[in-house]
Amino acid sequence: MSSFSNPHYMYLFDLKNGKKKLAYGQSPEDALEILSYKFVKIHQRQLQEYVHLLG
Amino acid sequence: MLKNLWSKPSSSEAGPKRLWLDLGDLGDLVNPAGPHEQWQDHGLGLLRTLLHQNGLMTDIASTRACKTWDEVRQAVAGYDILLMNVRSYTFPVGYRSAKIFKEVNPKGLVLAGGMHATVALDEMEAIPEFDKICQGPGEKTIVDLVRDPDSFPRVILGQGAKSMAEWPMIDRTLWPKPNSWKLARKFHWPLEPECGWGPGPVVTIITSRVCPWQCVFCNENSYIPNMGRRPVEAVIDELNFLDQKWGVGSIVIHDSMFFQNPSWLQEWLEKYPRQARKLWPYWAAGRADTVRQWPELFEALIKETNWNTVSIGFESGSDRVLRIINKECTEEDNYFTIDLLSRIGDEMEAQGKKAPVFWSNIMLGIPGETHEDAIKTMRMVKYTKRILPSISFYAPYPGSALGNQLIAEGKSRMTKENYHRFPDDEKVVGVDYQFYRELLAGKFDHEINKGLPSLIQHRRSVYSDALAKA
Repeated sequence: MSSFSNPHYMYLFDLKNGKKKLAYGQSPEDALEILSYKFVKIHQRQLQEYVHLLG
Repeated sequence: MLKNLWSKPSSSEAGPKRLWLDLGDLGDLVNPAGPHEQWQDHGLGLLRTLLHQNGLMTDIASTRACKTWDEVRQAVAGYDILLMNVRSYTFPVGYRSAKIFKEVNPKGLVLAGGMHATVALDEMEAIPEFDKICQGPGEKTIVDLVRDPDSFPRVILGQGAKSMAEWPMIDRTLWPKPNSWKLARKFHWPLEPECGWGPGPVVTIITSRVCPWQCVFCNENSYIPNMGRRPVEAVIDELNFLDQKWGVGSIVIHDSMFFQNPSWLQEWLEKYPRQARKLWPYWAAGRADTVRQWPELFEALIKETNWNTVSIGFESGSDRVLRIINKECTEEDNYFTIDLLSRIGDEMEAQGKKAPVFWSNIMLGIPGETHEDAIKTMRMVKYTKRILPSISFYAPYPGSALGNQLIAEGKSRMTKENYHRFPDDEKVVGVDYQFYRELLAGKFDHEINKGLPSLIQHRRSVYSDALAKA
């Protein structure tokens, strides 16, 4: 019964470039963990496959 | 083109000639691709009703009733004021219509409101043809704005009612008509055509506004604040009126979240079966965690009020992804709800009754989703016994939390020219859409079947046709 027993909140984290990053979760730590889900772990040998996506 | 689908300005009427332009893709009220393109705009209906009740008459035209932009040009000519409700997915049509209006009515005024004004004000302001832009709800602002637009600044913060109890019943004859004989025959105007959820004529109705949860793919609660729910008896009275006047086949309760506020639902459970002229079947939405919170109430509503198409936004079968989208539901909540409705459906079938089905919103292509997450999602869909899956690729709409973040990071492929809701468009940079197309075409059925009982493994494996407009 997630939203009743474990409500989530939105957080804004300060970035070094002065902007903010939106994250959300049950706590700031949970929010940071969820942010890590959007990262894909790759080996350096795979890098060329992703170069065109870097920004 | 059918005649008299919109009335030209009456020369006997005093005062400015006002036209409300219903927005949507050209031809959607002529030869639509599907049922969802034919839904009527409740915002338009409510606001036109309010204007007319206050003596501010308007004509109606629709880009959906036109096959070409030349037809739109003809439809808007001769008016002093153009009113439009602009959503993100109708923004391209809206601003093009505004430009055409100004070409044929150089002294005319364009008043635009709607969701896009709130979530992407800068895009609206960049269109000089929008003379007045109203953000947020407009029902407490529209009459004064239309009566004296010059007394308002260009950007207006609209005021809404505190409760839907303050709203008048929408005059559905103020909605645009279908514009082909073929469509008109089965449209049941001013009610709406059947869409696969229940028999026509269909009544779409709203009992509550604004879902209070904070799913990050949704932008609704960035648009309007919470407001009081419509009284149960007012909803039933309207349904009875519509049935008496036009005959009702089924209902779509188009609330973002019908299954909330248990005291209201309890009253609905008591009164709808007793006070409605018929126990019309209806489509309405819930959440997996609210079903798990109130399972007895859910079961009673299904069995006693003919809630036979249950829309649940399962979205994903992976806890990882459910957390990414801040759904605040878990895999366990989803499966609890699936199993509960399966059991209820089996009981009802054993009694010779028709079992309820899920209309299930499923999202794929969410940033951070792995192949395994997506396979878990399709496994959940396949596991579900009675389901009409509505599958879309995630779309980073402005105004939604995740959408705003992805737009800021430059990862959104959506632009003001293509906010439309086509479900299989590639909308986010870095997502492997080819994988998802293959997934929906059944290429990974073997992986999906792992963990499923053998009887279920033989259920459908191809879901490409389940990609639907959200």
